[in-house]
Amino acid sequence: MKKTYFDETHCAIGHPKSTFMQWMLTIDHKRIGIMYAVVMMTFFFVAVATAFLMRLELFAPGGQFIDGDTFNQAFTLHGVIMIFLFMVPGIPAIFGNIVMPLMIGAKDVAFPRLNWFTFWLYIVGALFALSTLWTGNGFADTGWTFYAPYSLNTDTSVVMLLVAAFILGMASILTGLNFLVTIHRLRAPGMTFFKMPLFVWGIYATGWIQLLATPVVGITLILALLEKLLGIGIFDPAKGGDPVLFEHLFWIYSHPAVYLMILPAFGVMSEIIPTFSRKEVFGYRTIALSSAAIAGIGYLVWGHHLFTSGMADLAKTVFSFLTFFVAVPTGIKFYDWVATMYGGKIVLRTPMLWALGTIITFVIGGLTGVTITMIGVDIHLQDTYYTVAHFHYAMLGGVAFLMFAGMHYWFPLVTGKMYNEAKAKIAFYIIFIGFNFLWFPMLIAGYLGMPRRYFDYLPEFQIYHQVAFFGAVVFIIGITLMMYVLIQGWRKGEKVGPNPWNATTLEWHLPYSPAPLENHTKVPYVDFDPYEYKNGEPVVKFDYATMKRID
Amino acid sequence: MATNTNIDYKKEQSNYIKVLVGLLVLTAITFVQPHLFMEHSSFLAQMIIAVAKAWLIVIYYMHLKGDKLIGAMVWFTLFLVAVFFIITIAVDVTHFQFGDESYITSAEHSLAGAEVHQTSSAHE
Amino acid sequence: MAHEYVPEIATDREGNEYVVQGWQDDFYGGKLGFWLFMFTEVMMFGAMFLALTYYKTLHPEDFLTASHHLNRLLGGTNTVILLISALTMGLGLLKMRVGDVKGAKLMIYITMFLAAMFLAIKGVEWTEEYEHGIFLMHDKLLPESSFPFGEKLFYGLYFTMTGLHGFHIIIGIGLMIWLLKRINAGKVTPEHHILHWNIALYWDIVHLIWVFVFPYFYMIGANHGN
Repeated sequence: MKKTYFDETHCAIGHPKSTFMQWMLTIDHKRIGIMYAVVMMTFFFVAVATAFLMRLELFAPGGQFIDGDTFNQAFTLHGVIMIFLFMVPGIPAIFGNIVMPLMIGAKDVAFPRLNWFTFWLYIVGALFALSTLWTGNGFADTGWTFYAPYSLNTDTSVVMLLVAAFILGMASILTGLNFLVTIHRLRAPGMTFFKMPLFVWGIYATGWIQLLATPVVGITLILALLEKLLGIGIFDPAKGGDPVLFEHLFWIYSHPAVYLMILPAFGVMSEIIPTFSRKEVFGYRTIALSSAAIAGIGYLVWGHHLFTSGMADLAKTVFSFLTFFVAVPTGIKFYDWVATMYGGKIVLRTPMLWALGTIITFVIGGLTGVTITMIGVDIHLQDTYYTVAHFHYAMLGGVAFLMFAGMHYWFPLVTGKMYNEAKAKIAFYIIFIGFNFLWFPMLIAGYLGMPRRYFDYLPEFQIYHQVAFFGAVVFIIGITLMMYVLIQGWRKGEKVGPNPWNATTLEWHLPYSPAPLENHTKVPYVDFDPYEYKNGEPVVKFDYATMKRID
Repeated sequence: MATNTNIDYKKEQSNYIKVLVGLLVLTAITFVQPHLFMEHSSFLAQMIIAVAKAWLIVIYYMHLKGDKLIGAMVWFTLFLVAVFFIITIAVDVTHFQFGDESYITSAEHSLAGAEVHQTSSAHE
Repeated sequence: MAHEYVPEIATDREGNEYVVQGWQDDFYGGKLGFWLFMFTEVMMFGAMFLALTYYKTLHPEDFLTASHHLNRLLGGTNTVILLISALTMGLGLLKMRVGDVKGAKLMIYITMFLAAMFLAIKGVEWTEEYEHGIFLMHDKLLPESSFPFGEKLFYGLYFTMTGLHGFHIIIGIGLMIWLLKRINAGKVTPEHHILHWNIALYWDIVHLIWVFVFPYFYMIGANHGN
């Protein structure tokens, strides 16, 4: 292919000749997104393996091959990788990077060299975190939440992990900053905020959470670090500190963090539903504004993680009250999506299957969250398997499922090929069935009193652990099959054109697939809404050489 | 639009100096306040003066005057900080329920308690 | 760079032309990005002020006592020094914008000098406190000392926050050195001064943080009984 201007200038430093160095130094948002995807999926499987080890140990009561301390390290490792290395970068790092600039008609993000730097900052943070498996006194055994005073007093490698988490937090902040400026400054002429695709709204709301919430946990981790090294006494009761303050500061970030994970996922849902219903989205404005509302209200509810920690009764009441509110904009989205499908011509391809499956699993996740918003109920269910099942239904059955949906939806955009549809559907069903066998019993076990983070338990809980183990095996077979289908699709799949789904948003209006390095040949003038369909067909058509409308 | 070449140097410079004088005056007030007014609500007085200084700095030194977009973002960020403060301080810790039983607020570890401690006989 | 950046034009159906904002050469975008970064600093120091207020609520008397013992003369001098340095930094930016590059550089040098003075005085202050037995991991702030919790927490947060603030001053000096190098290399000019603008903003936020740190630590106990 002819070398273009962008081939020459798309690196952070110099003009490397080798393809490998071109990728290592690339400032192109699409390539950076692909690198994030490869690294993150690898970490995902490592964390799944850690979880499988725990499920194996928990198959029967009593210790089999892991002792209590190692078990603590295992769930800490699982949590740290899943949250800091996978879920927080999440959909923004992959699809925010690859797709968002295309959707707004931009040539790249606002600060492409910063984007490159941020990727490598993430890698450094990840390496720091994983290095603690082999250095120091062993991986941290505090849980991913690092609660004081235990995290201050344990001699496992907490210091290095705190540094790693801080670095990873910086990467998240810089990604949010980059995307916020991109969306404010680089939209194509004519594209007002209310003509942006809903995925961009999701990324925008997420950017505000990444930017404003992450520094709070950043400084909390620094303070914990300084406390360990210099003995300030800020969180350690032996020196007058209050562990509840640590929990406040930690969750002021970590609760908005879960909205940072789900908002881009909801954005993916908002793209898939209209495309596969062949119909304009119902309630565009309410879905867009609900993203902002979720981000905003999400900042106010962190105390529901502290119901059993010793807050004032007034605080508990206020937090419970506020938490109920955040379910409302989420509910609005779900009603809008169902209304979009009503009267549409449903095309049941794999991305749509994932979207529909997620509606089921996330609703379970969301509703179980509302049950533990009730303080009295939470006193009983806090720190039991009910809570664990709740957040896995929401995070795995919400965020991760929609990430998989996005992987299937934008697959042709990135690779120029299509995966095997029948096998992809089978993988979905296996994963969905395995997922529910894995997590539903835990809702029951938790209700009956099975505590979380315990490596041993009373014999009456064994049946639930066994069913969950069966579910875990099926789930892992499913995700392995899914990855196989996607990788085979990339290697040997059938070539497809730039818009195989016949969708309406700008990322599909490219001259060929995979997407050209310089994005759109010419930036179009946007005088249309993002989801204009008439009788199941897109209204807006382009001449791809000039990017002028020809409808 | 890298630069605005029609800058009135004299006017801008005089604005900077005026703000400097304002900040110096407010700093002087900071020093005399504890002895002159609101002596019993010193904390509140000091924070009000600090907010006034901050406002001058943000509007003039940081050139925020007239910038609607960034101005709105500043308000949102400050609002968020205020909310965190109000909930954590005014709603939670101000109503700390365990003052009597908690080790971290126990009498022997606060100043009043230390004085009692020192005047009592045997202990270190 | 091999090629000059030329903005694209987008045309609508009536034939009207619109200039496309690219990521290159976006002054407002550069400003916006730096303001967003400053919000993260506000959240970071805001969280520390939150911790400080939390403990002040639990130990009001101890906090006033500890505040009373800080050196208001040295702290106040530093306040005025930082104030003047904010002026010199701002004047430096103004001179750059109107084309007086030599004057701009002089102002940056003066700002750096004032910043160094701030750090030196802070060093004197901390040494004095050390000699009174008040310093991290030292004498009165050790876990086994009978110093009241409230005062230990006050001083612990005092050293942490003024320490982190001082760290930001050191970074600021580093940024100013870098700025001078870029000016000398002709990369920062009156036509292209976003870097200078943002570093001046950075210095303003460092000053802003001190505007709240100083009264909170030094002044609240100024008229306290002891």
